[in-house]
Amino acid sequence: MTQGSISNRIRTLRFMNGEMSQAELGQRIGLTRQTIAAIEAGKYSPSLEAAFRIAQVFKVPLGEVFQWDGEATSSKDGS
Amino acid sequence: MSYRERIAWLSLIAMVVAYGSYFSLVAQGPGSWEPLPHLHPLGLFALASILRVLILGGGHLYLRFGFPQEERPPLDERDRTIEHRAISAAYYVLMAGTILVGCFMPFSAGGWTIVNAAIFWIVAAEIVHYSIVVASYRVQAAS
Repeated sequence: MTQGSISNRIRTLRFMNGEMSQAELGQRIGLTRQTIAAIEAGKYSPSLEAAFRIAQVFKVPLGEVFQWDGEATSSKDGS
Repeated sequence: MSYRERIAWLSLIAMVVAYGSYFSLVAQGPGSWEPLPHLHPLGLFALASILRVLILGGGHLYLRFGFPQEERPPLDERDRTIEHRAISAAYYVLMAGTILVGCFMPFSAGGWTIVNAAIFWIVAAEIVHYSIVVASYRVQAAS
């Protein structure tokens, strides 16, 4: 079991794409501006489909948008 | 605050004000132990329901004309997730209330006491529902 959190680079990617607004990004993938804001702030984890759609808008791989910041905790049997 | 959060707040306030008033009046009144049919509590319940409709109607009109430019987008996946979570929690409250009212109260109470207990659990489930919706939107709101 690993513990960690999901971070994202949506704010940076929006900036790099002509300062795209949250509302415009949301409109292009069928989410509300509030949902984009919540994702960007790390307060809501989007579905896998929404995550792929966001990556598709920015024309980057999924891993460039979302990162898993987790530490692997070793189990008792050492595996 | 999003349109859906405002609607959830409005629904929560309408439930609390209308049925809070109803139950506070019923608790003071002497008629709750009287056998059915006893129309006084029914009249109070009708008034509470009318009050709720008026609050909801007035609130919707205020939101429509007070915020004319506000976007009213369809439900997205986050809205549906929040709604699903809220309905799940409310379901358990309703089930607990139904078991209590249907299985245990007939041995100890009767008449309008049972009717009011059933109404109470329905209202409680609705309040839990809207409270979770509001809390979820608040927690996820970006600062």
